[in-house]
Amino acid sequence: MSLFGGLLRSTVTFCRSPSLLLCTRHFTTGSCSRVRMHAIPKLKEVDRWTEKRSMFGVYDNIGILGEFKAHPKDLIKGPVWLKGFYGNELQRLIRKKRMVGDRMMTEDRHNLEKRISFLYRRFNRYGKHR
Amino acid sequence: MFRATVAICGRTVVKRFISSVSGESALPSNLRLPSNLIGVPREKRPPPSGSEHPLLRRCEAEIPAHLAPSQTWLHSLNSCDSETLGVVDLHPDVFSVPVRLDILHAVEVWQRNFKRISHAKVKSRAEVSGGGRKPWNQKGSGRARQGSIRAPHWRGGGVAHGPRGPTSYYYMLPMKMRVQGLKIALTSKLAQDYLHIVDSLEIPTPDPAYLMDLIKQRQWGDSVLIVDVGDEFPQNLLKATENLMTVNVIPAIGLNVHSILKHESLVLTLETVKFLENKLLWHDVRYSPLYPFKLPYNDLP
Repeated sequence: MSLFGGLLRSTVTFCRSPSLLLCTRHFTTGSCSRVRMHAIPKLKEVDRWTEKRSMFGVYDNIGILGEFKAHPKDLIKGPVWLKGFYGNELQRLIRKKRMVGDRMMTEDRHNLEKRISFLYRRFNRYGKHR
Repeated sequence: MFRATVAICGRTVVKRFISSVSGESALPSNLRLPSNLIGVPREKRPPPSGSEHPLLRRCEAEIPAHLAPSQTWLHSLNSCDSETLGVVDLHPDVFSVPVRLDILHAVEVWQRNFKRISHAKVKSRAEVSGGGRKPWNQKGSGRARQGSIRAPHWRGGGVAHGPRGPTSYYYMLPMKMRVQGLKIALTSKLAQDYLHIVDSLEIPTPDPAYLMDLIKQRQWGDSVLIVDVGDEFPQNLLKATENLMTVNVIPAIGLNVHSILKHESLVLTLETVKFLENKLLWHDVRYSPLYPFKLPYNDLP
């Protein structure tokens, strides 16, 4: 505790040698409690055993264990153009336009086409990788 | 000061000397469990050995000559106090493979990520409404030159490099790696005494308390995953586990590394063991596919 530092100092001053005083460093082993205990936010309580969490991952091996009639990519829930597909932004947008483009609203379609042409020019014309 | 430091050193030396001389336990103080701790530590039942227990199941597949089948107890769920029915053989190439933690980790991470589709999307400067007109003249106004009010450095402007559109994180690990991950998970459960084989899933009552009692008495852990082959499960079991969150029942097709790792204990029926051995051992001896396995092969089972 800080008692000990004080004790050490007092023994040093008692010895009365100036060289020893210069050798000591002021130290403390306690804490002044700068942590404001009343303002610490509570940890959020997460229930680890909800239906979704306890059943996560079931049927992921449906191909191996189920005679290959289904593939794990059939389990993915999401937009049609992304099921079982991985690509960068340009590839995803092109795929979206091919698969879903006819059904899109005019503004969304226009933004999609602008974004595709912007990304095409950026990837194929500027920079180190073209 | 010198005297003080000598006194401190002397104290620590004396403490160490006492602890080594007394020899109560070699564990340091932070690893020693207090004697008044609540909760009984699991008593490991010694694995079956010797010929006095009846061998109730042999492996159908051939076991390599240099390996011996691993053995484990066969339980029954019928009554709380029933002892084990006998001993069961498990194929070593499924239930005692070398435990590759890196494969296990890779399969678990794959399960988390391949289904993930992140829908985060922000509007770029082209998509934010407005911002087509140049706000003020290029020269003469004294202000910095600006091209549109929706540029990324403007308040209310578009984001330059934000998340764009629904993104997928799909990838597939090699089939044999996923199979090996399953085998390793089963091996670890057996090795850590958390794998239990049961003859059938019949219970006398649809009461969830009966199941919790059974699990507590047999020290199966906090969470149990019960696996059976086929679609039909006994009604009693379904009713009992309906409202229990930590005891779950899945068909054998739904077995996966994440569920095995999440639930503390794994309960398999004899048919499930046969099914798993059949499915998982085939990958050790199969040819590599010329075309996807979902198309018909004349020699696939």
